Amino acid sequence: MKSNEFDVIIIGGGITGAGTQRDCAMRGLRTLLVDRSDIATGATGRNHGLLHSGARYAVSDPESAQECIRENMILRRVAAHCIDESDGLFVTLPEDDLDYQKTFVQACRNAGIRADIIDPDLARRLEPSVNPDIIGAVRVPDCSVDPFRLCAANMLDAKLHGGQVRLHTEVTGILREGNTVKGIRTHNRNTGEDQEFYAPIVVNAGGVWGQELAQMAGIKVGMFPAKGSLLIFAHRVNNMVINRCRKPSNADILVPGDTVCIVGTTSSRIPLEECRNVAVTPDEVTLLITEGMKLAPRLASTRILRAYAGVRPLVSADDDPSGRNISRGIVCLDHETRDGVKGLITITGGKLTSYRLMAEMATDLVCKKLGVDKACETAVLPLPGSEEGSYEEVAKKIWENPTTAQKVAAARMGSRVSRIRSTDRRDEALICECEQVTMGEINAAIDRLEASTLTDLRRRTRVGMGTCQGEFCACRAAGLLAKAHGCIEKERADIDYFLQERWKGNFPIGWGDTLREAEYTQWVYKHVLGI
Amino acid sequence: MRYDTVIVGGGLAGLTAGISLQKAGKSTAIVSTGQNALYFFSGCFDSIQEPTPEIKSLFSEAGIRVHYTPGVRLMPMGTFKESALALEDVSLFPTPQFGKKVLIINFMAYHDFFSSFLAQGLEKQGMECRIRFLNLGDLAQPELGPNQMRAVQIARKLDDVWEKVVQEVRVLLKDEDTVVLPQVFGLNDASIPERIRQGIPARVVFAGTLPPSVPGIRTQMLLKKRYEVLGGTYLLGDRVTGAHVYEDVVQNVVTKQLDRHYLEADHFILASGSFFSKGLSSNPFKIYEPLFELDMDYDPDRNTWYDPTFANHQPYLGFGVKTDAQLRPSRGGVPVKNLYVIGSILGETHPELGSGAGLAIRSALKAAQLITGQP
Repeated sequence: MKSNEFDVIIIGGGITGAGTQRDCAMRGLRTLLVDRSDIATGATGRNHGLLHSGARYAVSDPESAQECIRENMILRRVAAHCIDESDGLFVTLPEDDLDYQKTFVQACRNAGIRADIIDPDLARRLEPSVNPDIIGAVRVPDCSVDPFRLCAANMLDAKLHGGQVRLHTEVTGILREGNTVKGIRTHNRNTGEDQEFYAPIVVNAGGVWGQELAQMAGIKVGMFPAKGSLLIFAHRVNNMVINRCRKPSNADILVPGDTVCIVGTTSSRIPLEECRNVAVTPDEVTLLITEGMKLAPRLASTRILRAYAGVRPLVSADDDPSGRNISRGIVCLDHETRDGVKGLITITGGKLTSYRLMAEMATDLVCKKLGVDKACETAVLPLPGSEEGSYEEVAKKIWENPTTAQKVAAARMGSRVSRIRSTDRRDEALICECEQVTMGEINAAIDRLEASTLTDLRRRTRVGMGTCQGEFCACRAAGLLAKAHGCIEKERADIDYFLQERWKGNFPIGWGDTLREAEYTQWVYKHVLGI
Repeated sequence: MRYDTVIVGGGLAGLTAGISLQKAGKSTAIVSTGQNALYFFSGCFDSIQEPTPEIKSLFSEAGIRVHYTPGVRLMPMGTFKESALALEDVSLFPTPQFGKKVLIINFMAYHDFFSSFLAQGLEKQGMECRIRFLNLGDLAQPELGPNQMRAVQIARKLDDVWEKVVQEVRVLLKDEDTVVLPQVFGLNDASIPERIRQGIPARVVFAGTLPPSVPGIRTQMLLKKRYEVLGGTYLLGDRVTGAHVYEDVVQNVVTKQLDRHYLEADHFILASGSFFSKGLSSNPFKIYEPLFELDMDYDPDRNTWYDPTFANHQPYLGFGVKTDAQLRPSRGGVPVKNLYVIGSILGETHPELGSGAGLAIRSALKAAQLITGQP
């Protein structure tokens, strides 16, 4: 078999694609994953980072709710280092109907989700940031999850099982012979190289861009792009996920994640052409703040770090303009039976929480078509990094007295943190002070996790995600990238892009400390560094 | 406590005003929170063309070594920028093609000096570059830890052992006509950069690092020392928390440390900086001057505050306190009689005074003149 031939090609480096590649690779298939930019750049990296218990869907979509709770319990085991088992509250405010709580709890229980009605006093003690005016509270097994870490761990495991990954590689055509898909034509956006890859099966995991990809093969898949905007706050205000106990609506979930917390979302339908360039509007910011404050009043005085938006890759089923009533169900399309085109599968819809199940469904179909009879093991075998206990235990096994940077590295990398153990103290140099990212961790991400740009590094290590938003670390990390890749010219352009990306999320919330930071960044980069 | 003038803010603007007033025989006090824009000063007084005799004596009397050589300077990422008046550390050249072969010196494990970007920028100008790393631990013990490799810590070490750096560079130097060094020399002794130049048989260029800026901190310390030698009272680590204004006249200001001992004066100068230094504040609905609630010159529509492209000029940087030609602000449209506003809190409302360091110095000198009545 030639180097450009595979058993299966997966298009899309989101969590669905990465999960599918891992599953296929674990079943012994030779896999290739391509993405036009980096892993987790679409909906995967632009959401709350909420590992649903399913409670949110219990009333409106029992099937999704059941999927969620099953997957939630599985991922706690197999993706332990990506998940914070925070639990969640569904709170009723004075303006909400307390009767809904009964319906909600019953629906949760029907779906197999543990839902305990607790005294509002207890809720206030469990989660001191919650609005003190709540009149009802239900405790559910919600968690928070780091989608970047989860996606990287899947990609890494696929590679450990022999999979190949080509990032920054755009699919420019689907190769067809008659009614059979033979492979893909690609363009590498880093090197400019055009290349064809062949496989009997191509999996379209392109998320909202799956429609364009299907079109290349002459197939119609109607996507329903729905934009959701969110705000990141600079502090971890809450330790439990806080939801409103009412029919799902705007800005009614507050999720803690690492050192921050995230409130969202809005929901509005947008045309497909706008999906690559979604922007948060001032009205959305106002709505998110006003509604967010109702969940946790402290948000009113907490610095906002960024505003960002993602596009949900839902498949259109009806004409509801909000997109919220559409089932978040998994859609796995066999284009052979659906459209008479052999060798192409589309896997879409679903949720971050159900990515593993989506991958399993797609892989089952791939295996059926290839005549491979091997059972799925992704529900049992842990992801790399999740094999050994808590990050504190992991860190203590490696370092006698772990530093803060070593502890947070262990939290980010799980048991794989042993890879950055070094006898050279210079590897301990902090590149990003806000998020405590060391040179060793950055070099590990460059070497092993396919990071080729600053934004790639940010997704893998949290470099530049902290309060300073990349003020100092961008240049330092760029120096390391330039050294690793030997391309200084490209790195200069990379810094410009990184700064623009940061600003894109800063100016919609540009006041208070954010504006102070922005002014400082302007001075440092324009006047001191001369960029 | 009563002074002739109380100055809010101890950065370049506040200190310049304080020195001028002390020289004119006035008694002054400066309230400073600590850090200011000099901590990330590039070393160039941009927007000052020919320095006036007054500006020249301000520097020379403080022991700040400057030179006036209109040209371009090498920026830390390898680009060039036009400048005219600069600290002695900063070399200014007629054109970016200032040499042929360049030796760039960096320190091992120092990530805040961008030798490879510098080399790339110089190579673009047709220069041939060689980068060599010195091990600071070999030069000065005890060794700095990996997270102490920041400009000021390194500079503290080098103040004692800079001659060893000169020796090392002399050994490394082959046929290069230029040596580029990071700006980490002479934190407590402004003469060191020039003495390094004399010790190395090639052109020596100091290029900037990530903040804090060593030449900037040195400048701040020299200005503060000069101010105190002249008898000024520098209240370091304090913050003005309130002010009493009666019949359009500022009566006194209140500070955090002095509690109920108000600072009274005939004149007050507001040199509290822009957003970063908290001279200006903002919320989703307005941009305001928090201490006196002075009238602002800006567009209240938040959508006009920013340009979505980071690299473009950002409108908010131009916003500032509205003043008359005598730098006097107003409150609710009524002029405040004995208050003068200087420095970056003016934003771009006085283009004739320049920007950055130029604005700080010019507006400070102007306020001092208005207060003393001397031309």
